[in-house]
Amino acid sequence: MAGARRKRSLAAWVWVLIAGLAVFELVAHPLIHAAIPSEESWEAAAAFVRARYESTDQIVAAPSWADPIVRNLLGDLLSLRMAAPGDPAGIGRLWEVGIRGAGTRDEPPALEADFDEVRVRMWPLSNDALLYDFVDEIANAEVELLGADGSKVCPWVKAPSARGGLGHGPMTPPERFVCDSRRPWFWVGATILSDLELRPKRCIWQHPAGTDPVRVTFADAVLGDRLLVHGGIDYQAERQRIHAPVSLRVWIDDQLVGELVHRDGDGWSGLEIDTSELGVERARVRFETTADDPSARLFCWSASSVKGQRPVDGAKRRLSGGLDE
Amino acid sequence: MNDARALEGRDHLIGAALCVGYLLLLMGTASDLAMSRDESFYVHAAKSSASWITQLVRDPSSALQQQSIDRAWRYNWEHPAWMKLSFAWSWLAQKHLGLFPNESLAFRFPGMLTAGLLLWLIYAWGAAVMRRQGAFFAALAFALMPRVFYHSHLACFDVPIAFFITLTAYTYWRALADRRWVPLTGLAFGLALATKHNSWMLPGILLIHFLWIRRDEARATRTERASIAWLPSMLLLGPLVLIGSWPWLWHDTGSRLLAYVRFHLRHVHYTYEYLGTSYFEPPLPVSVPFVMTLFTVSLTVLALSLLGVYYRRTQLRPPWLTKPNDPTGRRTDVLWLGCMLAPLLAIALPTSPIFGGTKHWITAYPFLALFAGWGFLAVIESAELWMGRRSVSWSLAALCLLPGAIETAHSHPFGLSHYTPVAGGVPGAADLGMNRQFWGFTTGSLASWISEKLPEGGSVWTCDTTHGSWAMLQRDGIIASTVRPASSMSDADLVLVHHEAHFNEVDYQAWVAFGSVQPVFVLRYDGVPVISVYENPAQKQATQAAEPDQE
Repeated sequence: MAGARRKRSLAAWVWVLIAGLAVFELVAHPLIHAAIPSEESWEAAAAFVRARYESTDQIVAAPSWADPIVRNLLGDLLSLRMAAPGDPAGIGRLWEVGIRGAGTRDEPPALEADFDEVRVRMWPLSNDALLYDFVDEIANAEVELLGADGSKVCPWVKAPSARGGLGHGPMTPPERFVCDSRRPWFWVGATILSDLELRPKRCIWQHPAGTDPVRVTFADAVLGDRLLVHGGIDYQAERQRIHAPVSLRVWIDDQLVGELVHRDGDGWSGLEIDTSELGVERARVRFETTADDPSARLFCWSASSVKGQRPVDGAKRRLSGGLDE
Repeated sequence: MNDARALEGRDHLIGAALCVGYLLLLMGTASDLAMSRDESFYVHAAKSSASWITQLVRDPSSALQQQSIDRAWRYNWEHPAWMKLSFAWSWLAQKHLGLFPNESLAFRFPGMLTAGLLLWLIYAWGAAVMRRQGAFFAALAFALMPRVFYHSHLACFDVPIAFFITLTAYTYWRALADRRWVPLTGLAFGLALATKHNSWMLPGILLIHFLWIRRDEARATRTERASIAWLPSMLLLGPLVLIGSWPWLWHDTGSRLLAYVRFHLRHVHYTYEYLGTSYFEPPLPVSVPFVMTLFTVSLTVLALSLLGVYYRRTQLRPPWLTKPNDPTGRRTDVLWLGCMLAPLLAIALPTSPIFGGTKHWITAYPFLALFAGWGFLAVIESAELWMGRRSVSWSLAALCLLPGAIETAHSHPFGLSHYTPVAGGVPGAADLGMNRQFWGFTTGSLASWISEKLPEGGSVWTCDTTHGSWAMLQRDGIIASTVRPASSMSDADLVLVHHEAHFNEVDYQAWVAFGSVQPVFVLRYDGVPVISVYENPAQKQATQAAEPDQE
């Protein structure tokens, strides 16, 4: 008798469990759909940001997969530098357009507004003032390949861009320095790198050619308190972690002031060079890349002269890949 | 061994109805899906095969020369010929008889047919060993898996190999009791070999199962033993069908076979995003096939499948527990469990090439569905025991199948982007960092937008959608012939970016090419970006200039 009752009870549990799972799936489906932000919510949030936007503002999406939607609505406000910053210099405020409770920062925001399922938050940032963006100024630089038999100047040309596509690496810009048209990678110019974490980094493509330096010279660069230098290698080449290190040497008025040695696995990383005691506001700044083996060294760097109060320990400080140092 | 029920005419009637019904559903929904990347390669190969078939009819001696064979069969030499020949025949029928409303359907029809036949087979095998309700439930549970529904549309090999592997296992199982099935086992295995290399693992699975029942019989001291005649049949007929159906192997047979095997053993690794990491080299986490199954198959069906395994646990007992004079049989459940687990475990192996897509272990799902059939019967029994009436089965079946049906309907035409509520749906899967799509087929969902954007024609950089797939959209009349695919981003009027984590670089390329980070349109599925479209500033200016002044 007790056995039969126990069997009936077990049978009931089995039935309830399976029926319960089916009901869970049936209920979860509309609930998931109901949580999807409406077009109106997105547009209202975008209008709110647009009305308050300033040119030094950065706009990000949370979670990051919503980024194309945010760029679709507000992308016209974003420069390539703001969409793919190599460093945080010059970013005055951060706008976050978020859904699903996702966030990019833990601190309380200075401003927050909800538009149904879309949340807008804003933080003022205390980043350094940007005095000179070397990526912006690349067209005014001089590029040359140094060798035992002297130097070869690379001309600034208008040339067809690459076709694009998966595995093709950073896009060649329509105008760039071309050092050797027979070697399609041997150019210098502004592009956007997909770094080891697949994040965008606006930078100057300067593929090393071997132990002979590829040199980029800015004859009259503005200097401030510090020079922020970052570099990285295209994710497809770097993730294999088998290739030679790349050296980026920085010279100010013929004085070596820093060297960034990038090894596979470093990701987007950099140096901070103290320029506050050089006593000059403008200088000749050179960047030279070399590699013992230049195979697959799809190296790209960014640099910014900044004015700010941050103390520097020693002349140089190694920076991590993040932008909130 | 008489441990199965003989199938009746009405069983085949039900099976045929399932087959035809599914086939019609697939045919009616196929035009929503742009041809996937791999389909476009197989279409190219099938056309090449069709030319060779035509040559064979007109001038056999010339067609059989190595030069002709190599010319026709060199392309896509890494895959056997059976399905490509089927696509070719179907396309030839379309060319001469105009059987289908469009060309893509002609190529896709043979794959769809195998999907329909697979439902029939699942029902038939199920009905041979369990109550009909369970078998019917199993067939529908399989049909209503969103990823199965997507793959069933395609001119590819994944659903066909699921059919031929299930067919081989079925004929083997039949052959254990009836020797008339022995040659059919070899033939079915040959067709499986001639369809896709997933078939290579079949002899191993069947041999383990066979040794299991032989050990069982020995322990039970039975004098009558199962015959191993199926094995020589498979080993003889299998390669014969493979080579016989694949002209590429008719010359330099040994070296080409070796190259074929080597190609798949040293397969390139695809980049696949799983739980926030883009894997590009082994090992892929062992959990991938199991978690992906959990995230893409109805939870109710999965629970029923596990319940089914539990319900049949006595049939799964190891042979060393068999006692003298115990009844023995074909151990159908052991065979099903082996066929279900082997494909999952093969992908889970740390040494396996990186694949990731559920299609690579889709051959497990017919057996998963069959166990769900057992689980369903277990629940019916529970309900009858609890409620004391027999009328609950159909309403329970409807309740258990409804989640899969709703999810499948909702998954179309974004099949590979779809995730079930267990993953939090499509947005939940995006939060978790799961693969968004592959193969570029979602471009089909953009066709009307592109046509509206470029009414006078223009060019589109098609990203992961191949030019062959694009051409098929044009031949099907879905995209105007004046909207051509561009080979270079910066020359295109529109640039498409299919969102997958490792495709971020393509997004950034578009930013540089057009100097803007603003897509003009973002195709979304459940609020998750699937494709971004960028507009060439030159095209934008031309459009704006052509528009009448609004003020």
